[in-house]
Amino acid sequence: MPLVTTPAIILHAFKYSDTSKIVRLATREYGVQSAIAKGASRPKSRFGASLQVLSQGTAHLYFRPTAELQTLSAFDVAEQHPALAHDLGRYAAASALAELMLRCAPSEPHLALFDFVGAQLDHLATVPPQRVATAALAGLWAMVTALGFAPTVSACVRDGRALDEGAVGFSVPDGGFLCARCTRERTTTVLEGPDRRALEQLLAGSDELPAGWTSRHAAAHRRLLARFIEHHLAEGHPLKALAFWETAAWNGTS
Amino acid sequence: MSAIDDVAAELARLPGIGKKTATRLTYFLLKQPRSALERLAEAITALGTRVAACSVCGNWSDADPCGICADARRDAGLVCVVEEASDIAAIERSGEYRGVYHVLGGHVSPLDGIGPEDLRIDPLRARVANGGAVREVILATNASLEGEVTATYVRGVLEPHGVKVSRIALGLPVGGDLEYADGLTIARALAARREMGS
Repeated sequence: MPLVTTPAIILHAFKYSDTSKIVRLATREYGVQSAIAKGASRPKSRFGASLQVLSQGTAHLYFRPTAELQTLSAFDVAEQHPALAHDLGRYAAASALAELMLRCAPSEPHLALFDFVGAQLDHLATVPPQRVATAALAGLWAMVTALGFAPTVSACVRDGRALDEGAVGFSVPDGGFLCARCTRERTTTVLEGPDRRALEQLLAGSDELPAGWTSRHAAAHRRLLARFIEHHLAEGHPLKALAFWETAAWNGTS
Repeated sequence: MSAIDDVAAELARLPGIGKKTATRLTYFLLKQPRSALERLAEAITALGTRVAACSVCGNWSDADPCGICADARRDAGLVCVVEEASDIAAIERSGEYRGVYHVLGGHVSPLDGIGPEDLRIDPLRARVANGGAVREVILATNASLEGEVTATYVRGVLEPHGVKVSRIALGLPVGGDLEYADGLTIARALAARREMGS
């Protein structure tokens, strides 16, 4: 089995037997891979502290294209994002991003997606505290777009008609804004003018705080995005980290 | 299925035991006297009937409160918070800690669907809020990202109660060679350096 070296992000890691770990990796050249890190839980393991969730670095894998489980020989950490651990909002958003990559990304390598996830983790770790919520929304919408499921907001998603100014209906099943006529025929989430502009701003990749933005707006936008992902990408599988991020349950209990 | 298959199948469900080892253990048990098998069966049954989580700290014990919580010689004002009950045994092995414990029952892990509400954080808050007997809470969660985020969250929960919250130090293992330590551990050790006393 050849030893290959590739930039990688640890999306998930869990114990396997008494001394080993299994890691789920997003790799730049080989797509999402599972690998066993033998002896990783031993006190004097050569992996040391490198196999932390959301770490970025270089994976050395004994790689067989047909194998479901590769063998991880080493992982050289480039960035470990300790700042993500100091804020549950950042950590939850980063976990949701990792989960989307893990569950919804195509199995074949996707260079742009890999680079995007790495950049988003960097951004979530460093964005000012007041912009964590919008950065998470913008990042996850961008991930949805990168996966090929961008919502249509420039015209009616059903008939292509131009949209009126102001409030607009957003249909999750249809995948975007609806014109006034289609809104009457479909079940939609009505976005008032400021919320519509906020969504357009988030879809454009901006995490600047929209005018009048409150935690209530953030919660509504999280709900909308989570419903969109569940409908278009989840294929019936529960997305636990996304649900955790969406409910922001830690805010209510802290 | 035969009794042999039944035992092998049950043993194979244990962590670190594969089918081969389970079969080997089963044949080992077959060679033991009947009294030894009965003692083993009774001991395992007792785990389910006599052992329960301590209502104070969450440690596994066949008494409630557990031996540590009930020990009047221990400092009840010092609470060490750990992820799992098995971590208590590790700290007790040090022989240096004379406070009491609180078991969270895991760590925050969104990817596994484990949030703060799934951990024993509310009982910890109640313990700290109750009468002000707790002076200090030591957060001894694992030195992983999940352990850190859990510690951060618990600190936030305890902050309004005015209790001192500390985090166990992270760094080089005693007896370890600096040369062989990984960069992250050395970075943590440098960040947590302390002034040497005269």
